[in-house]
Amino acid sequence: MRARGAAAALAILALAACTREGGSGYVEIKTVPSTARAPALYIDADRIEALKSGTTVLRQPIGTAKLQLDADGGKITLCQFVVKKNRITTVTVSSLDRPPRCQCGRTGSGDPRTCIG
Amino acid sequence: MKKLQKPRGVTMPKFPSDRRTRVALAPALLLLFALSGPLHAQSQPPVPGNPDVVTADDEFSKQLRDLKKSFADVGKQIDDSTKAIDRIKNPEEGRKSIEELREHVGKLLGAVADNGDVSRLGALALSRADEKLKSLQQDTRFKPDEKQFLIDKWRELRGSTETAIRDLDGARKDFAELLRTLQTNEDYIDELMQIREHEKALQVIHQLSDGIRDASVKLQKLLGGIKPPGA
Repeated sequence: MRARGAAAALAILALAACTREGGSGYVEIKTVPSTARAPALYIDADRIEALKSGTTVLRQPIGTAKLQLDADGGKITLCQFVVKKNRITTVTVSSLDRPPRCQCGRTGSGDPRTCIG
Repeated sequence: MKKLQKPRGVTMPKFPSDRRTRVALAPALLLLFALSGPLHAQSQPPVPGNPDVVTADDEFSKQLRDLKKSFADVGKQIDDSTKAIDRIKNPEEGRKSIEELREHVGKLLGAVADNGDVSRLGALALSRADEKLKSLQQDTRFKPDEKQFLIDKWRELRGSTETAIRDLDGARKDFAELLRTLQTNEDYIDELMQIREHEKALQVIHQLSDGIRDASVKLQKLLGGIKPPGA
């Protein structure tokens, strides 16, 4: 019984280690125009630090993440993006539109607001 | 084969031989293994006022030196992959090579990403230099020439930190571009293979090696250019 429990714990830990080590890709967030004062952006719950010359490249765990914007009364979702292993997904946020809008290099076949690298 | 002998007078630690105990120990060992990664990756935060503790600028310089070493290792792997791409005879093999290359370039990009340790330490080192300059301007403990000497040294350190950060920004841009080139070529090759244009796919693979060679040259230049502050 104890051996079975230990084996289960072992499997969970091995899986956790593999997930953390194995899965990351990159997202490049660009704001246009680059001179415009960028709004506060978030990837899921994490705030993106100030964008240098309108661009930032971040390492992200693989999977789907939400790009959000600070707005009155909370955050609004601009779009979702898919991060694939060792791939870079570029998301351009246009401040010329009100509210700002995502422009994707490639979009998902289902949701046009999902950017795929 | 010669057997290893136990030195006299030394008591060797006994490991449990019981199967159940070994099974019970395994998760603990795995946990230790799983935790060792992030603990190693984390850097010690500087403690103000304690000269024995590594400061942000020291840590940034150390990370930059380590980075240069790992860049050199990955640079060699990229060169080897490029040579292999030249000899590729079928698109499937080419696709595999590009995938491996993406992994190498991914490592480089991960090292210089905006949310990576090196970028974070660079920003910390810069703000520490700013704070030091600000406090020295108001400091009344030192003679004017001593004060000026300290200010000049901190200005110098700030300048070299800024240059190193600028180099990292350039590296980030180059690696991101190379990764994008690799993935779009890989996708194009994939599409060509779907319509059985294998010859065309091979042509794309061989053309790609020129682009990677250029990136490798850029990497070498970058290696020569990065100077850890205070070095």
